[in-house]
Amino acid sequence: MAKPHSVDLSGLFTEATRVRDNSPLKSLTKYMEADSQLVSLGAGLPHPSTFPFAQIGARVAPAGASVANTAPADMLNVYVTTLPGAVEGLGKFLQYGNGRGVPSYAAFTHEHTQRVHDPKYSDWDTVVSLGNTDAFVKALMLFCSSGDTLLVDEWTYPAIIGTVVPMNVQLAPIHMDGEGMVPEALDDVCTSWTGERKLRMVYTIPTAQNPTGATMSIERKRAIYAVAQKHNLVIIEDDPYYYLQFEPYVAPSGTERYTNLPGIKNLVPSLLSLDTDGRVIRLDSFSKVLAPGLRCGWVTAPKYITDKIQFHNETSIQQPAGVSQAIVASLMNDQWGHAGWERHLVQIQREYAMRRDVFVDLCLKHLNGLVEFTVPDAGMFLWFRVLLRPELQSQTGVMQRVFDSMVANHVLLVPGYMFSPKGAEQKVRDEPYIRAAFSFAATTDFEVAITRLAQALAPFC
Amino acid sequence: MSLNTSTALASKLPQAKDLSHLLVPTFRIHQKSPFKAVMGTPTHDMINMAGGVPHPSTFPLEQVQATVRAPSHAALGLAGTLSLERTQASGSTESLNELLQYNDGRGMASYCRFLRKFTEQTHAPPYADWDVVASCGNTDSIAKAVSLFCQQGDHIIVEQYSFPGALSNLVFAKVKPVPVAMDSEGVDPVALDSLCSSWTGATPLRAIYMIPTGQNPTGATMSLARRKALYAVAQKHDLVIIEDDPYYFLQLGPMPDTQETAATDMSKLPLVPSLLSLDTDGRVIRLDSFSKILAPNLRCGWITAPAYIQDRMQILNESTILQPSGLTQGVISRLLNDTWGIEGWNEHLNSLRAAYSARRNLFVTLAHKHLAGLATFTVPTAGMFLWMRVDLGDAAADATAMPRLLDAMKKGGVMMAPDMPFRVTNAAAAAAPERFLRAAFALAETDMFEPALERLARAIASIRGSELQDTQSGTCAEPIDTMAPAPIAVNSST
Repeated sequence: MAKPHSVDLSGLFTEATRVRDNSPLKSLTKYMEADSQLVSLGAGLPHPSTFPFAQIGARVAPAGASVANTAPADMLNVYVTTLPGAVEGLGKFLQYGNGRGVPSYAAFTHEHTQRVHDPKYSDWDTVVSLGNTDAFVKALMLFCSSGDTLLVDEWTYPAIIGTVVPMNVQLAPIHMDGEGMVPEALDDVCTSWTGERKLRMVYTIPTAQNPTGATMSIERKRAIYAVAQKHNLVIIEDDPYYYLQFEPYVAPSGTERYTNLPGIKNLVPSLLSLDTDGRVIRLDSFSKVLAPGLRCGWVTAPKYITDKIQFHNETSIQQPAGVSQAIVASLMNDQWGHAGWERHLVQIQREYAMRRDVFVDLCLKHLNGLVEFTVPDAGMFLWFRVLLRPELQSQTGVMQRVFDSMVANHVLLVPGYMFSPKGAEQKVRDEPYIRAAFSFAATTDFEVAITRLAQALAPFC
Repeated sequence: MSLNTSTALASKLPQAKDLSHLLVPTFRIHQKSPFKAVMGTPTHDMINMAGGVPHPSTFPLEQVQATVRAPSHAALGLAGTLSLERTQASGSTESLNELLQYNDGRGMASYCRFLRKFTEQTHAPPYADWDVVASCGNTDSIAKAVSLFCQQGDHIIVEQYSFPGALSNLVFAKVKPVPVAMDSEGVDPVALDSLCSSWTGATPLRAIYMIPTGQNPTGATMSLARRKALYAVAQKHDLVIIEDDPYYFLQLGPMPDTQETAATDMSKLPLVPSLLSLDTDGRVIRLDSFSKILAPNLRCGWITAPAYIQDRMQILNESTILQPSGLTQGVISRLLNDTWGIEGWNEHLNSLRAAYSARRNLFVTLAHKHLAGLATFTVPTAGMFLWMRVDLGDAAADATAMPRLLDAMKKGGVMMAPDMPFRVTNAAAAAAPERFLRAAFALAETDMFEPALERLARAIASIRGSELQDTQSGTCAEPIDTMAPAPIAVNSST
């Protein structure tokens, strides 16, 4: 059965987006490709013979293995030379290209998206990004400009709070519960909106939400999507923790677990996978599943939208670094393949599930009566509500004193107000939330950290 | 390339002038991210449950390596293999675990350290509190630099022909470009002074964006005297200068006197000093890139500016790219710090100058031979561009002549960039435009230079309606100014 074409939302584009088009110089290259007899002196490209690299490569763990536990002899070699092989040659990875990226890298991300999400409309497409923060800016600028308002989770990723200020875009926070953004709250805000400019976009992190750790169920996602349809909103689905989904927590955790990790077959389906209209702009990143320093990711959206992001890339970052694309593309095409990549993702799930379990065991053991929290089903964050004594609740400056107490006890968590669009308000600064990340500290340090946290909080609870 | 070594003079240098009155209001207040401030909380024995960053044990890379050539372009053979190791530093460069992790918006320490050293050696900035920040190339840096000083509705001075990537950014930012006249040496400081003195626009002129070396598209390079004059005008009118200088290290040798290519020892040929090297006030935001001097798709460069400006640049990075690829910075750092060292790096740059000089020499010689009476140009002394004024003869007044020329060129099998994407017009220039083509001589194989120029000659001749003259014995007229300064209309906007 044929998939429907996306709904045309280009009427909601900003003026700047309408104007974004192919670079006139880059469009000259199509003449070059069409006619091999044509001598082009049009493009200001350096000659590849001036690139001093003969080969770039890496030694990588086999898919699904931990690099620390892999013997040197078992490491895999991936490499790119000046000659094309499984992927393009260095002449392609290191030369100017367009905002779509090197084809083998781009094709892998496109195929992976098809395998995992199977988008339900016909004209979906992917375009490269440098990671989700830059991708967010590009997605936002498609539809929002000075004077617009973006709907966001009431607690959200701090970088976007800073980003919108110079753009003169306001943030409208939407109430959340243990599963994330509440659809009725989104509907209410949209229905009762009296702002001068209509609402066009909602930004959400539906899996292992930063900072609350909340994960939307499929039913929640359907409800959010229905509200977006009702109010003709574009959804920015920022999903860097998507693959970090686990089995539900059972107390206390045992050692014989992780036989039932979701892999890619049993993940909670994405908003993209529900998207029959083509109103979801999905942001994917390699940061939490390969490494942040690669600065590699991709965006999925209708092609008329990914085209605009391509043109925006071409007047800014161009594409991800060629060295990063070369390593990722040759790893995926030459060694791991999709099957290996999916095995690797299970191993990542195992690592984070284990951390979640150790951490939650210890929280239940040491923090009784001091905090309450929802156990996360995914990701790396735990969002504590500090159970302040009644007389301290909403006392001006109380959470600053709690933070100071944590520092004095040598444990660092993040105060909740930093995740609020209204974080400048004293009222919000005194909301009793703190975020813990269990991704980085050594698990052998967890107990010390949590006992220090208990000591820090005890005087206030 | 001459080495400028710094001495104890550095400690006696003045601080940058405080130009924060030129910043857009949002950036006037220093706004370090409070989140980052928390992350920077320094205490002994702190257990970090704050950073939402992955543990490096989840990065599947054990080692990254690259085989690199010897620095000299002409030399065969390899310099060897550089490597980056998972948990240990390699030479001056951080471990893979650090390079692959989230880092701040300034750049990897070893990368920035080399660039500080190289910048000091090359430019010896004449004020004390400058710093470098990593970038992912000059196009992105231009957008960020402009956003610090210009907001919607503001104006910015640009060269009358400029880099389309920059011009596009201005359109999207709703910042209006005000063109300043150029001649064969680039921006005319007298025209700039006059433009600023007679400016009556709604918002003040705060910045000029320019490409002073091997300019894109005109190939013009400003002399030292010209740069000093320009800097004085910028001081007079309190302008920030965005010095976009990706071709700076591609400064070329002299044209040979005879048909034989003179072999010039580039190491004895000094570079024209940069605007940064003259910048006693700290009003230059200098944009450097590895795109033309290592490889374009490394997506790595750096910005040099006063430290308080760099604090804002860091904030801009942290809300967009974060940093260039840590892996790429690591490879570059290892190459420049260790495998080649700064001596090898200078050798590499000199070998690029020699290679580009050879190409320029051949191309210009053939252009003189084939384009007499058809086009004129100034010989470029840097970069990769030849900017030719096309002489369309009787057809010059015909608005369809240029499109017909481009069509004839395409049919004839040659392509060059037409002038339109580069042009920042004002009313006077639009009324009687001279027409130009930009030829890039870096990429095409050199044995195709002559066929390309022959085809161009035929195409121009066909538009002029004249027979192609026998050009074997002719040369182009002595290089003349190809761009008479266009009168600048006051309050011009495009």
